[in-house]
Amino acid sequence: MPTDWPGLIPVVILAGGGSLIFCAGAFWRRLPGGVLFALALISAAAAGVAALWITPANPSSEGMLDLSGYARFFTCLFAAITGLTILFLRQYARVRGFAGDELYGLLLFGALGMVLVAGALNWVIFFLGLELLSLALYVLIAVRKGEAASNEAGLKYFIMSAVASAFLTFGIALLYAVSGSMQVAGSLAAALTYPDYLPVILLSLALILVGIGFKTSLVPFHLWTPDVYQGAPAPITAFLSTGSKVALFAALLRFAMLAPEPVWAFCLPGLWVLAALTMVVGNLTALYQTRIKRLLAYSSIAQMGYLFMTLLAVKQGGLPALLFYLAVYAVMDLGAFGLIGSFSAGQTQSDRDDLADYQGLGYSQPWRAGVLAVCLISLAGLPPTAGFMGKFALFRAVLHSDYVVLAVIGILTAIVSLYYYFKVVVAMYLSPATAGATVPAADLAVHLAGAIILVLILWLGLAPSALFGLVDRLAAALALSS
Amino acid sequence: MLQFPILTIIIFWPILGSFVVLAAYRSPRLVRWLSLGISLVEMALVAALFFLDLQPYATPQGTWLLLEDYAWIPWLGARYSLGLDGISLLLVLLVAFINIFSVLISWKAIDFKVGSFFFWILFLEGTLVGLFLAADLLLFYLFWEIQIIPMFFLVGIWGHENRIHAAVKFLLYTLSGSLFMLIALIALYVMHGHQTGIYTFSVYQLMQHGPLGTTTEILLFGAFLLAFAIKIPLIPVHTWLPDTHTEAPTAGSVDLAGLLLKTGVYALFRFAMPLFPYATQLFIPVLLVLGVGGLFYAAWIALAQTDIKRLVAYSSISHMALIVIGIAIWNVTTLSGSLLQMINHGLSTSALFIMVGMLDERTHSRDFAVMGGIWSKMPVFSTFFLLFALSSMGLPGLNNFVGEVLILVGAFKVKPVIAILSFVGIVFGVIYILRMVQDCLFGQPRAEHVFWDLDFRETVMLAALALAVLSIGLHPGPVLHLLDQPIQAMLQQIAQLGLP
Repeated sequence: MPTDWPGLIPVVILAGGGSLIFCAGAFWRRLPGGVLFALALISAAAAGVAALWITPANPSSEGMLDLSGYARFFTCLFAAITGLTILFLRQYARVRGFAGDELYGLLLFGALGMVLVAGALNWVIFFLGLELLSLALYVLIAVRKGEAASNEAGLKYFIMSAVASAFLTFGIALLYAVSGSMQVAGSLAAALTYPDYLPVILLSLALILVGIGFKTSLVPFHLWTPDVYQGAPAPITAFLSTGSKVALFAALLRFAMLAPEPVWAFCLPGLWVLAALTMVVGNLTALYQTRIKRLLAYSSIAQMGYLFMTLLAVKQGGLPALLFYLAVYAVMDLGAFGLIGSFSAGQTQSDRDDLADYQGLGYSQPWRAGVLAVCLISLAGLPPTAGFMGKFALFRAVLHSDYVVLAVIGILTAIVSLYYYFKVVVAMYLSPATAGATVPAADLAVHLAGAIILVLILWLGLAPSALFGLVDRLAAALALSS
Repeated sequence: MLQFPILTIIIFWPILGSFVVLAAYRSPRLVRWLSLGISLVEMALVAALFFLDLQPYATPQGTWLLLEDYAWIPWLGARYSLGLDGISLLLVLLVAFINIFSVLISWKAIDFKVGSFFFWILFLEGTLVGLFLAADLLLFYLFWEIQIIPMFFLVGIWGHENRIHAAVKFLLYTLSGSLFMLIALIALYVMHGHQTGIYTFSVYQLMQHGPLGTTTEILLFGAFLLAFAIKIPLIPVHTWLPDTHTEAPTAGSVDLAGLLLKTGVYALFRFAMPLFPYATQLFIPVLLVLGVGGLFYAAWIALAQTDIKRLVAYSSISHMALIVIGIAIWNVTTLSGSLLQMINHGLSTSALFIMVGMLDERTHSRDFAVMGGIWSKMPVFSTFFLLFALSSMGLPGLNNFVGEVLILVGAFKVKPVIAILSFVGIVFGVIYILRMVQDCLFGQPRAEHVFWDLDFRETVMLAALALAVLSIGLHPGPVLHLLDQPIQAMLQQIAQLGLP
């Protein structure tokens, strides 16, 4: 039995909350409205608070699951992502009639999967978490059973994800075959003990990278992203594009930190090319989009490109910047997709997706459009938003490690990105209003989520010292332990 | 030394005020009066700084009249440090002064979304004040990029027919330059950190870096120069300016020409040149060629314009080119002349844009083809128009003359050819201004319009501007006195590096 059970409380809360919701859905026939919503929200919040407050005695649970500050940071982040997604979903799901137990329960299980992925010290836990997360997402993407686009997106994600998982599993198996260890640290250290097997280890890492690259939509494994993001309900897209990407990236960061020097040296050129490709392809393709969800899908690919760019510098002090940007990215991307969902809440058909339907929204819906504009400006990396501070930290880390060419590619693509982010701002504020479908009034939950996101973006943009200090300590601790 | 955080207050007073104005959007009347009140208080605060007669004192961050320095992001080594010296004091005065006119000129001209309009005008004022006060490079960069957003909305929402195109062009041009500067800024910060072990954005400390290597320094300076040249704007990256001016509402043009263009020259002088003295030496011929070229080219293009506003926009480019020549020659006389000329250009060009806006309100056109014979219909307006046109031309006794003479005299001592060319360029400028005056004010009316002469609000505005133009023209002493100490300090600092 694990002796360090206090550290597992967040995990237990998420699993327990999810199970409770399923039980309530199954056995409680006449559910009063809002019970499931409240249960899910309370579970997410409680998990976050537990991760924040409880300092476990041991750094890990039986060497399987990380309980240190690094994992707790991400648990808090996932709890926040889940909580905000639930707030954005409330009205949206009600109007469309899918606010059942499967929605809220699976959200919590998805969050649990993310926590396991980000905290995995063992390949089995990692795979378990990944499959749990994916399983929840397959259903969530296709949660609107009546709609073809949603089902298609779910199926597409399922097939592509299964293929990626196969690659990943094979990579893990190869690594195990060489090292004889299922521990992440132990298996990667095999490169030092069995230098002759370096090619096999590199092959297995390449296969693992394919699996992770798929989930984080690294070019050239990104092709599913726009279709799935467009087909999924917008708040679910928010959950998918922030939570699952951040979780996989957190795991990737850990693997990178644990990878011994000879292995890492071989990985760098490949990662360089992939990062450059991701930034260029993501940003250039986004230019042509006229549908806002596809535009943001390509933007999220490009954002991952900036993170992969900095991944190269992770061993030379780039880790705090990456942690900071992951948190910032989660907030701003979640805000953008969540607000698109809230603009679409009244339509029982597809989401408000055409850019032309956003014309004049800045004046008819000043509050929500304002928050969306701030999210977009933050994604574009302009001050005084968190996106600027995040990008600043990323480029600082990259230049600190002397990847000048990559940084210049990054800046050039960032200039390109200004155009498409501002395309949405132009539509909302500068273009004449069109007589489109009316926008429904938002409920309190959406307003609350919007306010939280606005405050976070401006706070992290103007006074980021607190978070910078925290991620710096976490990064130092992780570097010591690896 | 004041303990009272007056610099922070003059930055955040208009920014906080802008949100109050936005909250009052339901009553346009209240919005206008609130905005005027906020601008006047800001002017009073800044004027108080001017009349306090502050004395410079040395700090670890350089010599300033006032310095406010607090920890901001220790992890990055960025500080919230605001420094006031003579140059920034003058420019902040200009910002506060011109902003009153931006509010007044929009009193009747802006009749929809009034709350948002004045929100952006006041927000812009705050960011500009911050930009001119920032003594930390990251803080400066923050303000530098933020100020683009208000102008984007001002042009894009309240502009003329092609406003969206112009706003996006403005945004993309200015931000592209800035992002290259961001890379250079981080690179400089990292290299300085490698050299000294201190990671800091303090401009004063960054200036004390060791040699960076010629290629590196040229690349970094080039990136800074690109950002600032776009803003000034120097040829060949000036093409956004005429479009933006043509489409901008009058207050937008006033802020753009009067204030935003100044940020480019200010940053070039304050940051780019002292930070990279070696590269500056190499780039001086380039700057001179671009300056002289711009002076002639813009004047030449101005002659061909049929739209008065476009003409004034090109005259702006021409005047800014002369300022750059003065900066590039880099001695006490030309620097004083150039910095003074920034104020003068801010006053005269703003006045001209305001008057073009007044014509536009009356005739709904800015085309020379429908002007003419205005003198007989609007004598007061025409008198002011002539005064500001003559000021822009450099008539002795008016403000521009002082600045131009200083630049020419200073240039003649070291680079007589440049001085002669600049002189010819200035004379060239006289032609298009006289043509503008002639086509607008004199001759026969070419179209029937209902003209009404200036009302009280308009008269007060123009009289205040005329007073400023005359007082600098006749008694430039106090202004030049403010500039003297910072210029000497700057030159001394560069001289210590042992450059020619």
